[in-house]
Amino acid sequence: MIVDGEHTFPGPRQTVWDLLQDPEVLAKAMPGARKLTLTGDGTYAGVIRIGVGPVTAAEWTLNVALRDRVPPESYTMQVDSKGALGFTRGNATVNLDEVEGGTRMRYHADLSVGGKVAGVGQRLLDQVAKMLTKQGLDALNKELESRLRDGGGPGDQAR
Amino acid sequence: MSRTYVGTSPVRNEDRRLLTGQALFVDDVQLPGMLHAAFVRSDHAHALIRGIDASAALAREGVVAVITAEDLGDYWQPGPLLVPPPPIDGIVFNQASQVPLAKDRVRHVGEPVVMVIAESRYLAEDALTDVFVDYEPLDPVVDLEAALAEDAPVIHPQLGTNLAAHVVQRHGDYEAAKTDAHLVINRRFHYDRGAAAAMENRCVAARWDPRAEELTIWDTTQAPIPIRNGLARMLGLLESRVRVVAPFVGGGFGPKIMMFYPEEVLVPWAALRLGRPVKWTEDRQENFFATTQERSQIHDAEIAFSADGKILGIRDFFFHDTGAYDPYGLTIPINSQCTLLGPYDVPAYHSEFRAVFTNRTTVTPVRGAGRQHGVFVMERLLDIAARELGLDPSEIRRRNYLRKDEFPHTFQILFQDFAPLYYDSGNYAPALEAALDIVGRDTFRAEQARARAEGRFIGLGVVSYVEGTGIGPYEGARVTIEPSGQVRVATGLGTQGQGHYTAFAQIVAEVLDVDVDRVHVVTGDTREFGWGTGTFASRGAVVAGSACHEAAVAVRKKVIETGARVLGVPADEVELEDGAVRVRGDHARSMGLGQLAGHANPLRGAVVPGTEPGLEATAYFGPDHGSTASGVHAMVVEVDAETAMVKILRYIVVHDCGKLINPVIVAGQVQGGVAHGIGNAFYEQLVYDEGGQLQNASFMDYLLPTALDVPSVEMAHRETTAPLNPLGLKGVGEAGCIPTGAAFAQAVEDALPHLALEIREIPLSPNRLFELLRDAGPADRAPAAELGGPTAAAAAD
Amino acid sequence: MAQPVEISLSVNGVRQGGAVEPRLLLSDFLRHELGLTGTHVGCEHGVCGACTVLMDGEAVRSCLVFAVQADGAEVVTVEGLDSGGELHPLQEAFRDAHGLQCGFCTPGILMSMIPFLRDNPRPDEPQIREALSGNLCRCTGYQNIVESVRLAAERMGGGPSPGGA
Repeated sequence: MIVDGEHTFPGPRQTVWDLLQDPEVLAKAMPGARKLTLTGDGTYAGVIRIGVGPVTAAEWTLNVALRDRVPPESYTMQVDSKGALGFTRGNATVNLDEVEGGTRMRYHADLSVGGKVAGVGQRLLDQVAKMLTKQGLDALNKELESRLRDGGGPGDQAR
Repeated sequence: MSRTYVGTSPVRNEDRRLLTGQALFVDDVQLPGMLHAAFVRSDHAHALIRGIDASAALAREGVVAVITAEDLGDYWQPGPLLVPPPPIDGIVFNQASQVPLAKDRVRHVGEPVVMVIAESRYLAEDALTDVFVDYEPLDPVVDLEAALAEDAPVIHPQLGTNLAAHVVQRHGDYEAAKTDAHLVINRRFHYDRGAAAAMENRCVAARWDPRAEELTIWDTTQAPIPIRNGLARMLGLLESRVRVVAPFVGGGFGPKIMMFYPEEVLVPWAALRLGRPVKWTEDRQENFFATTQERSQIHDAEIAFSADGKILGIRDFFFHDTGAYDPYGLTIPINSQCTLLGPYDVPAYHSEFRAVFTNRTTVTPVRGAGRQHGVFVMERLLDIAARELGLDPSEIRRRNYLRKDEFPHTFQILFQDFAPLYYDSGNYAPALEAALDIVGRDTFRAEQARARAEGRFIGLGVVSYVEGTGIGPYEGARVTIEPSGQVRVATGLGTQGQGHYTAFAQIVAEVLDVDVDRVHVVTGDTREFGWGTGTFASRGAVVAGSACHEAAVAVRKKVIETGARVLGVPADEVELEDGAVRVRGDHARSMGLGQLAGHANPLRGAVVPGTEPGLEATAYFGPDHGSTASGVHAMVVEVDAETAMVKILRYIVVHDCGKLINPVIVAGQVQGGVAHGIGNAFYEQLVYDEGGQLQNASFMDYLLPTALDVPSVEMAHRETTAPLNPLGLKGVGEAGCIPTGAAFAQAVEDALPHLALEIREIPLSPNRLFELLRDAGPADRAPAAELGGPTAAAAAD
Repeated sequence: MAQPVEISLSVNGVRQGGAVEPRLLLSDFLRHELGLTGTHVGCEHGVCGACTVLMDGEAVRSCLVFAVQADGAEVVTVEGLDSGGELHPLQEAFRDAHGLQCGFCTPGILMSMIPFLRDNPRPDEPQIREALSGNLCRCTGYQNIVESVRLAAERMGGGPSPGGA
């Protein structure tokens, strides 16, 4: 399953970068995340709870490793998630560019989905991925805005 | 008044029980103290197992046992090779049969890894989520050709290759035949996977009775006797201490054959070990992942013709997907190889296949069992050739049918029964003409043109096929006249809806001249009858039916002999009429069969040496060859050229399965097969992604045809009786679904003659057909020829 | 685990009840608690229709209904169709027209057709096929099922049907 797209954050690139590396922020941005902890340099582990269509909500363990980090421009993210209903694993690349009005994030994830969730949730997977992505980006936006408000300054420029 | 039952259609003996909810299916078995099993299954198509943590599951209340491969000890063994490869020169066969629980590696999604046993099915399934299996994913093997590449990941490391088999069979010399060809056609054909989708999922229940020292296993199997024999051996029990019961089974269609599925092997083991009854009932989703499937093959086929449209020879290379394991040997690809030849005179044939392991669910026969692939390739080649030669599709078939004086006909290649491919009897051309008569030989093209003028696209497909049926080795039956005058028949087959309770009763009732509903047939219980093979290859009625006949004839002989003794007249003065013996010409001196049965089992006196008590006989029947059924299917479709939706307007079957035991049951078998074939052709496809993940594992996404999708079949029977068995029978169980895809393809093309559309794959779907229509250029061909008439030879029949 | 819930319902005219887990399916309640195994389970996701029973006169898929939802209801299963060993005309028609082969889907089809024929005493073939389209059968190709329903309608002559509330 390919999930790709772009999103422009109304803030400077370094702030967006910092945001995307912060486990607490990611935990908030990750829909259904129960917890997410930093386990090493750029590696996170956590538990999320997601349902797909007829597949009831279930807990998934999540391991994320950030690699090839070129602050504040790009990184890749290895995702490995599994639960009783199957697994999702793959790589995502994230690029951040400075654009007018803020920072453009381009993301491209190539994920393989397996087990029950692939067998019976297939028709809904793309929609669910889109929905989860949107929820995540909205949450990140909110967090960014709150940071910019609290920190002042750079946010005003971006607006 | 002597009764005639064979060839008539009395109502079925089994229906009352089925209609009132009293018929026992395996999941209906409910025993005191029964435990329930559920299975943790692989989410990965291909992965190493690094570790399993089942501690949380074991700690859950209500969980009795959690079993991994390690826990099985010596019981952990790969399953038996069910059908060894045929003795073909130069054959390569690499065996890798399924294991009870994956030990170090999983090879397809849905492969069982851990068995959980709990007080209820709900609790067992709850506990599945507690088990943690640590996988190290490996690259999956999905594509048949890529699987054989040098650098492909290997599914069975001990084999060092993904090649499961390589087989070459030749009849005549294709290369020589081709040198004189006027026309040579070469194409690639794809056939993809479908599910058998019996309405009843698999189920196994087992109880160990320590007092009787008997293990009873209720199993949704088509072959209870081989299952009993195999489990007895695995468990170290006497065969006589193991009873396998396949009661009413809710559809078989192949995958319920003697598979020794992991669950089938583990549930009896658990019942023995735990000392409590255990049951496992598959759910539909498990069925999609773990019950065997069929049909993916890729053919590269070439056919050579003379200028007058006679086949000179065929060469076919094909890949056969055997899935993760190959316990059923080569039955499917051998069937494809043999059935391709069809009802045609093919002087030269070179057929070569490679069976390939993939990280998909294991492949074993599903209704048709490889035959439809061969038929699809052959019929498509003929259609393409007919177009090139400017012939009507029916005409090219007429020119190539074996004539009725060419039987028996032998090809120098081995069939699935390991004997040279042998057509015992047949008469093909008249079946085609009969089908065209029903279609409307003189009116169809005009109707088609009228519809076209209204902007409707109607097309006709007419295809032929043969089906090797009724193969050995043997089946048996025991017929007993009880003192009540009722008759009991026991045979070793399993029954999954074919009407054996009635068809076998008809055969026996006719021989013994009793009412058919006084003949009680029992099938599928090894305690009732312990010798035999099973229900597959359209063989039940032919082989077990013949055994029932032979046993009934033997009982009839005992009836006459005993009657002569009791009535005090020579045997040749005794006749059996209306459920009684009587003295010829003196009907007052008679005795009912029940009373006679009492005399045959005396309380005083002695049974004369050399005779047996009772009116009972057991007989076995094993044919030298399978009998060859055949038929013609014609299909009229309407294609919506914009949406690519296809509506089936008419479906015509002219079928020849020799002597009909019960025409209504035969028609039902064909109708059901046609529906299955229509599903395979247009609605059903198991879609796997490149990671080996099945994408449509539910009836919401995998579409079985409904009552709205399947037309009524217009049917005519022909009876070219088989010389190989006493009643002249041929099998019919699989026939309906064998040529359907080929008929569908021809009909769709015929509906759209303005397009250069050449259908070389099955199943189609509206989506896929839409793509093909979109990509098809304008046609460069003449309008369809008239359907034409029979040749003089055929008309003479 | 949620606490068991007391339920009371009529099944084939007999008062039944007990404490059931809220998640217990009606199909499992009928089959395993009451031993009415004529109701079959083919898919457990509401597509195949094998588990169809009547609840207050209407056909429902008992795999999509929790037993607790049937509290207070009148349920009729295939075991309640015949009267004292005498087959219901619908059952008889299925037998006479060879409307079943393996018979696994049959109870669900019968229970779907009872309210259909009550509401449509003289259906034509397209109506019958439409009504059957929620029940899957792998054996018959539906042809003889359609004929059985037609025959039943003819024999029942639009009269009342048991189980129809």
